[in-house]
Amino acid sequence: MDTQFLVSLSIILATFGLYIGIAVFNTAKQTSDFYVAGRGVPPIFNGMAIGADWMSAASFIGMAGTIMLLGYDGLAYIMGWTGGYLLLTFLLAPQLRKYGRYTVPEFIGDRFNSHTARVIAAITTIIISFTYSIGQLSGSGVVIGRLFEIDAKLGTMIGVVLIATYAAFGGMKGITWTQVAQYIILIIAYLIPVIFMSLQITSSPLPWLSYGELVGKMGELDRELGISEYFAPFTNGTKWQFLALMFTLMAGTAGLPHVIVRFYTVSTMKAARWSGAWALLFIGLLYLSAPAYAAFSRFILMTKVAGSKITELPAWTKTWVDTGKLQLADGNGDGVLQWKELIISNDIVVMATPEIANLGVFVIGLVAAGAMAAALSTAGGLMIAISSAFAHDIYYRVMKPNATEKTRLNVARISIVVATLFAGLIALDPPGAITQIVAWAFALASGTFFPALILGVWWKRSNAQGVIAGMLVGLGVTLAYIFAAKYGGFTILGIIDTGAGVFGASAAIIANIVVSLATPAPTQKIQEEVLDLRYPEQMVYKNGEVWMNDDGTKAL
Amino acid sequence: MKKIDKSVADAYFREKNRNMIIYFAIWFLVSFGAVMIAEPLSEISIGGFPFHYFMGAQGAVLTFIILLFVNAKVSDGIDKKYGIDEEKNVRLSEGKSLDH
Repeated sequence: MDTQFLVSLSIILATFGLYIGIAVFNTAKQTSDFYVAGRGVPPIFNGMAIGADWMSAASFIGMAGTIMLLGYDGLAYIMGWTGGYLLLTFLLAPQLRKYGRYTVPEFIGDRFNSHTARVIAAITTIIISFTYSIGQLSGSGVVIGRLFEIDAKLGTMIGVVLIATYAAFGGMKGITWTQVAQYIILIIAYLIPVIFMSLQITSSPLPWLSYGELVGKMGELDRELGISEYFAPFTNGTKWQFLALMFTLMAGTAGLPHVIVRFYTVSTMKAARWSGAWALLFIGLLYLSAPAYAAFSRFILMTKVAGSKITELPAWTKTWVDTGKLQLADGNGDGVLQWKELIISNDIVVMATPEIANLGVFVIGLVAAGAMAAALSTAGGLMIAISSAFAHDIYYRVMKPNATEKTRLNVARISIVVATLFAGLIALDPPGAITQIVAWAFALASGTFFPALILGVWWKRSNAQGVIAGMLVGLGVTLAYIFAAKYGGFTILGIIDTGAGVFGASAAIIANIVVSLATPAPTQKIQEEVLDLRYPEQMVYKNGEVWMNDDGTKAL
Repeated sequence: MKKIDKSVADAYFREKNRNMIIYFAIWFLVSFGAVMIAEPLSEISIGGFPFHYFMGAQGAVLTFIILLFVNAKVSDGIDKKYGIDEEKNVRLSEGKSLDH
């Protein structure tokens, strides 16, 4: 029990108290509250909630580490995870809001008038959100593991219990306002260490401007060591892999059920556009800082840690070696730790750097609390997506249309607990780094929902058979490519598992178009509903004409 | 309920789409475009950054944020031009959502 442990734990407990307080205050009583917060969250706050929902353990804990290890090639994550918001906000969010349903499978089921499509969409939602939550649990394992100085596996188990309890009793409404609080905590927790490091190393309080020279300086250090320069492009993969990964992350962003559902919580199409803009601004604050975080961490490790005597390593190294994520071995036996002898996992860079840079117990505790906020908030959104796909789309809309509200809420809660436990089991021995696991979830989303939603909203001729074929082919191709690339060493143009979405999306679009054209067109009513999505709420497309609803009543 | 002339409705849709195509063209250039020519860009330096690195780490993200706000603002203007009243939209969309 050292001071650090006590400080970190109290900060984490204090922030948890805050989230639980907000959640209890807003406990969901009705179904519409549970899934979409009763639609009326103002755009700025919805933007923050989207930000918290969006920025997961992968963004908070994993991304800077990934950039640090990959250099320029890691920036595909930065551009991919932000650029997708244009696809989402321009092409999908307002239109889906006008259509007005609770969940993505519900849109697909009703737009294509097919229970089969609805069930496939619900199962896909579960697969995507499940994969994503493995990354979150494995992230919470890193944080808790470090906190209690135990193996990350044990940490993961504690995280499972926390997340299941937390998500099962809140619902979306509790979660919306909780996520606003979580956004604020996590962004402060991320910016403070970056700004402190910037002051320490460059004596400038603006890391975004000051780390440029560091990037150049590290290039020189790398040349001396005879390794490829930090900023040199395409050293860890081909240019095609970079482009494919970026596309996968962008298209996946526009197809992630737990993010799209956020846009159902706004009041109108206009509010959806503004929510998207605010969300990216809030997200951008962290994404613009992550490469700076990476540069400072690498610089400190290269100049202060590498080159010191093995016997005189600072105390922080031991606690991190204990979590199993840091390896220090004096390979050439000269008693000095070389840069090449230091093997650091992507996933601990953000957590370990404040300790390495000696930023003090308070900042280290704050970063731990921020990381927990990131993992919890995203896991909460994911669990809502899983439970609504199961309890709402499969159980209620298909299996038991007469189920009472109470039964449905119970089914939702049970599905959350079951999903978390399963994801936790896999997270015990995570099949990849956090960013990599999360990238698979994006690949699956870009191979299934991205094509289905884009064609569903913008092409009236797309029909049930087309979307079913598209989703199945997209899912199959993406999964096959991920496994073939990761375990079979099969690649095209050097594109590895994380870039699989580009193949999944192309195959799904082709399948959707070909099958739709080969089968009868959707009914006139459905086609008109699709055309109606081109116009704001007040304009209505009906019987081949556009009408202006001037009296603002619902009499349609 | 009042019928809107087809040409007016089409003009609304075209105007929105034209803007969207412009935004996506810029989006493509700053992200995919900049990556495709990363090697020549790395010769240029801006604020200490090699230019390709700057685009990936900051330039593209800033452009995306600006585009989203421009779109939100400009779309509001277009809605206004065609006489769309946001308050009526709010009332209409409350009724539009399917209640279970």
